[in-house]
Amino acid sequence: MSHSAITDSYIYVIMALLPLAALMLVIQTSPYQALVIRGILGAVAALIYAVLGGADVALTEALVGTMLAITLYAVAVRSSLVMRLGVLSGEEVRKNLHWRPLLTYLRALLNRYHLRLELVTYDDVETLHQALKTKDVHGTCVVFGPTEAGHYPDEALSDGHGSPNPVPVDTPESPYLITLRVPRLYEIFTTELPPVMAQVQALGDDGLDDLGTGDLQPVLADASPLTEDD
Amino acid sequence: MTAVLMAMIAALLIPMVEAFQDEDIWQRMLAFASIATKTSVMILVVSVMRDDWMIGVVGVLILSVGNAALMLLAHVIRRLSEVMEEY
Repeated sequence: MSHSAITDSYIYVIMALLPLAALMLVIQTSPYQALVIRGILGAVAALIYAVLGGADVALTEALVGTMLAITLYAVAVRSSLVMRLGVLSGEEVRKNLHWRPLLTYLRALLNRYHLRLELVTYDDVETLHQALKTKDVHGTCVVFGPTEAGHYPDEALSDGHGSPNPVPVDTPESPYLITLRVPRLYEIFTTELPPVMAQVQALGDDGLDDLGTGDLQPVLADASPLTEDD
Repeated sequence: MTAVLMAMIAALLIPMVEAFQDEDIWQRMLAFASIATKTSVMILVVSVMRDDWMIGVVGVLILSVGNAALMLLAHVIRRLSEVMEEY
């Protein structure tokens, strides 16, 4: 049985599918797309093992190599590729329309790096800063200057979140201050987030320790030279 | 019988091209479902062709398990897209 099967010509055609699927898997950049392609590779591999006579190997490939590996990897990728951004609960970030342009822009920015944005709310500035220090969140976003609440640059942000250079209406600087503790995220945000959307600073910069006391004005003074580099 | 198998291999190339070209994750999941089913049916065809019941049983198991893996993965991806569109 198996001797005549080895000489069959269709086996060679089936065998050629395996490097094809493997090549498709290797050139994927998105982790979720790669998971789906990994499933395709597992199906083709199980077919080859079964055709070559290894029924037990094919069963193991389908059960462990495809089903278990894909499920575990999906859970791992889902829980690791996320950026947690701490915000204040009093600002009603999820309902407030002023936040929407910034959040849409941040989602689009992080989506290019296959990250998703998760908002974590805190009651006051002190717990927010403590969460950043204890590495509970990757960054915080606060609105400074309560007197500026009347003039957010709405028009510039609402139609300009896709364009690289939105035109500021009256205030050249954004009221949002994003503090990041991950160096790679800081790198991404400073190079790709325009200063009119939000100001970005890294944790550990001078003046940041004053954030815990609730006095935001020194942070504003220290944060502005950072964004001028862009 | 070999001609039937060759036709199935040619049909298997269609979803593989689709999975390679389309960037949408659900289109890729569709292609994955198509490939998982097609490969298990091909295993069943081979088992009938060789009159080998061992491969036949494995083919049936892979046919059901492949669909289970697909449903698990689809569930995780659906939950993920729900989280992203929450706000």
